Amino acid sequence: MAYHTIPQPEEISKREKEDGMGAYLMMFAGIAAGLPLPILNLLASVIYYYVNKDKSRFVKFHALQSLWSQLPTTLMNAVLLFWTLQIFFFESFELTDVYWGYLMAVIIANLLYFIFSIVGAAKARKGKMYYFIFFGKLAYHQAFLVREERETREAINKPPM
Amino acid sequence: MYFNIKHQERYSRGELLLRSLLGGIYIAIPHGFLLMFVGLAGQVLSFISFWVLLFTGSYPQSFYEFQVNLIKWNMRVNASLFNLIDGYPEFGLSGDNENIELDVPYPENLSRGHALLKALFGAFYCALPHVFVLYFRILGTAIISFIAFWVVLFTGEYPKGMFNFQVGTLRWSLRLNLYLGFLTDKYPPFSGAILDDEMPPSKGSLHVTGENTAE
Repeated sequence: MAYHTIPQPEEISKREKEDGMGAYLMMFAGIAAGLPLPILNLLASVIYYYVNKDKSRFVKFHALQSLWSQLPTTLMNAVLLFWTLQIFFFESFELTDVYWGYLMAVIIANLLYFIFSIVGAAKARKGKMYYFIFFGKLAYHQAFLVREERETREAINKPPM
Repeated sequence: MYFNIKHQERYSRGELLLRSLLGGIYIAIPHGFLLMFVGLAGQVLSFISFWVLLFTGSYPQSFYEFQVNLIKWNMRVNASLFNLIDGYPEFGLSGDNENIELDVPYPENLSRGHALLKALFGAFYCALPHVFVLYFRILGTAIISFIAFWVVLFTGEYPKGMFNFQVGTLRWSLRLNLYLGFLTDKYPPFSGAILDDEMPPSKGSLHVTGENTAE
């Protein structure tokens, strides 16, 4: 597999650097909207990716890395939210040890995600690549892979004969 | 910042009637519905930009352009609902209107202290006094809108003084939004007139800037 050359910081415009940084800051979307729902951050990241993916490979990489890395914490947060609601509404506030354990795990996951994202945002603003575990490789692969152009595209609109 | 609306020589009476009677349905509702969601995105970006501004001293350019385009869209709808322009306002952030001129140059650097001051006390030292004065001005705008409606209906012309007053109200609120939205450090003046240092976007000699200064 061939990959496009990674741009160096001096080759990246200020705007691209800012757009790369902005991708990680979508994690605050829920707070900014005043609705701390886990899904809002993910939604903001998806929209951000689709708006910015064609700007440059550098921006696309950071937008993808931010998007993919957000999935686990979003899922964990969503599970925690529903679990908590269920306990409060149907189980008369009985908090089990499993719940406390999961709560701790979610807090740690969010803290890690927050720290890595802030570091990613700071690096992106300096025009640097920063690879998260697993998600970094995945985003790099998707953003920088040289894709073969389809040579013959079958026409959709054809003449009557 | 430069904002102006071109005063048309003639206004369509048919469109005026249509806008005044059904404008809420065919302009305000569809635009308002979309602006609600785009406005939410604008709010999110504004919050994020505040923190970026606080740490880096500059507003991200893409976010800045988004906010300015959102303001432009709002202005198109407002100008149309105020009967200041004919024609249906274009949808979308990339939309434009030849009669509306809005130029908000991107500042490379903004003051972090100013941003913090605005976030903490902006409501007291800026929003409160301006909203208080603007409230009375908007009352005047509503009365003038009513009078102008009848004038345009019978003559097909929008009186220049009334027109300038309406545009001035929009300009005032625009300056206030720019300041409180962290897009500029310049405290908004208590006036709707074009200031001496506000220049129109470079379009040769087609612009007449002095028109709206005399209110």
